Amino acid sequence: MTAIDVRALRKRYPPREPGGVPQDLWRGLELTVDEGEFVAIEGQSGSGKSTLLHILGGLDRAYQGDVRVLGEHIRGLSDARLAALRHARIGFVFQSFNLLSELTALENVLLPDFFGEGIPDAERCAMRALERVGLADKARARPTALSGGERQRVAIARALLAGPPLLLADEPTGNLDARTGEGIIALFRELHRDGMSLLVVTHEARVSRAASRVLVLRDGVLLPDPRLEGSA
Amino acid sequence: MRPARLWKLARANLSREAGALAVSTGGVALGIACLVFFLALGRGVQRVVRDVFPVSAREIEVVVPQVGIGSLFGQVRLDDATVQRLRQITGVTDAFPRLALHIPAVTRYDGLFFGKPIRMGLEVVGTGISPDLIGPDARLPFQDTGDGNPIPVVVNRRLLEIYNKVFAPQRGLPALTDSMLIGFQFPIELGRSYVASKTLPGSYEAALRLAGFSDRAPLAGLSMPIETVRRINARFGQDGGGYSSVLLRAQRSEQVGEIAGAVKRMGLEIDESERNRALQIGAAVELVTLALSLLAALITALAAVNIAQAFHAEVRERTREIGVMRAVGATRVDVATLILAEAAVTGIVGGAFGVALARIGGVAIDYLARKWLPEFPFKPQTFFDFRPTHVLLGLAIAVAASLAGAFFPARTAAALDPARALSET
Repeated sequence: MTAIDVRALRKRYPPREPGGVPQDLWRGLELTVDEGEFVAIEGQSGSGKSTLLHILGGLDRAYQGDVRVLGEHIRGLSDARLAALRHARIGFVFQSFNLLSELTALENVLLPDFFGEGIPDAERCAMRALERVGLADKARARPTALSGGERQRVAIARALLAGPPLLLADEPTGNLDARTGEGIIALFRELHRDGMSLLVVTHEARVSRAASRVLVLRDGVLLPDPRLEGSA
Repeated sequence: MRPARLWKLARANLSREAGALAVSTGGVALGIACLVFFLALGRGVQRVVRDVFPVSAREIEVVVPQVGIGSLFGQVRLDDATVQRLRQITGVTDAFPRLALHIPAVTRYDGLFFGKPIRMGLEVVGTGISPDLIGPDARLPFQDTGDGNPIPVVVNRRLLEIYNKVFAPQRGLPALTDSMLIGFQFPIELGRSYVASKTLPGSYEAALRLAGFSDRAPLAGLSMPIETVRRINARFGQDGGGYSSVLLRAQRSEQVGEIAGAVKRMGLEIDESERNRALQIGAAVELVTLALSLLAALITALAAVNIAQAFHAEVRERTREIGVMRAVGATRVDVATLILAEAAVTGIVGGAFGVALARIGGVAIDYLARKWLPEFPFKPQTFFDFRPTHVLLGLAIAVAASLAGAFFPARTAAALDPARALSET
């Protein structure tokens, strides 16, 4: 079974100047991520790594091509069904953590439970997620009282709340020092071992080394990285 | 989105935006305070008007037309037969004839009045009324006792108020209660006028005895038993056998229009002078209340504009956060609902403050009025009539104004492209 199946994906931006030519970001991306696979995508700034994640998460719907995530054709889904997909089956992790400063760590982890039908036994799941990322003792702390690494771990716990089969991470170690970043990478390895599908966008080699497969987004196409392929 | 979760998230956002939203909440509070204050003031003043000019919605006064085809032919008279016909009109439950004293009369008093020497003379306007009209308001027998006996009179209670608040303080006379005055006797000279400086042949002196106070008695002058007035008029050759007017009481106020129509078809007229005066004053008060309420509504509308600006700014600031919410499963409706919930809370808080402010303002005004305003007739204990409906209306308008203000920001937030929102720095 494939977790992600992308065919001939293009993203067109309007011309920068009146009368100019629309810009195509990619030249028809092809990507397949199997269930339980940990794939890292590298690429230079502006190559469209984050845009690809947004499309896969149904956050960006202005594209051409065919995108299937967890068996669902993204394009055909309504706003409510896309929200439900993100709510229960896709976890998002961002480079800048994106925690709500007025909520405690536990409440931030519970954020997905605020929406939709909620998550059964959410409080217990949230505590378990915090335990998993090693922050059970910081459940009542506000984000301002946490270090960068702790904040990212809270963000990962939030992504894990509903037990999604797929995790999409956008530069998850980009704002962390080397040692803290290693902890996050170790956590991703652990999630991968538990059978979760991971697609991580990064420009850090240490993250790519943890992945089971590495792709490079270059010149509008996804290419296997000859350096790291198969080295997980 | 479940209410408990919605409330938790809205509360967290509001606590963060408390400073910015305080101005909006203050604006709503000010508008609602003005609205509730003016509505309560309007109702309070209306109540005073009703006290001064009590008009029963179920009663009308029938009179003979001043100039009319009927009267030209001498066909319309308010005699017993006409009163009987009036009683038979559908919806009429009672008919109370009144008879004016057709001869001049004066009263003069020269002596001690409750311990104070007083010397004065007054022209007396007398009206004969049916004892049934005032009922138990007459504390002493209210019936014709014949020549040589004191004439029982009933006075409108408002006259006592005017005496106590205006006449007594000006003349240094004691304030009186109705129980002090019941049984009080004073002289009357029938057939004499100070104003016209004339005395009719056969004029004579008698005594009046106060039998009670009643709101049912005419405001002007003294009310006597109708048989007494008929007897006095007859003594001076002024008894025409009819009545001056007839007060009709309807079963229900909605029937008054139909009864008035039937009365007019009989060639009679409705005297609406007192009713019209009360209605005109009431309408003027309502108009002023309406104008002030519109002013309050304008303030509330401005507060709504302020809320719109505050929430627009908030949505701009929270763009990335909204993107995160969308990423973890919030729908467009969830985002809009969250913004509107925050606006509703702002409205409820502003409305509650506004209602409280109005009450405090009312208490303060009443206190100042009691302390600084001189006594005057019908000076009320309070100028305000706060009703639970005012509280509900204030809160409802506050919430509605806040929701209206936050409507477009909520729409903007819901329409945010989550991918772009997440890319915001």
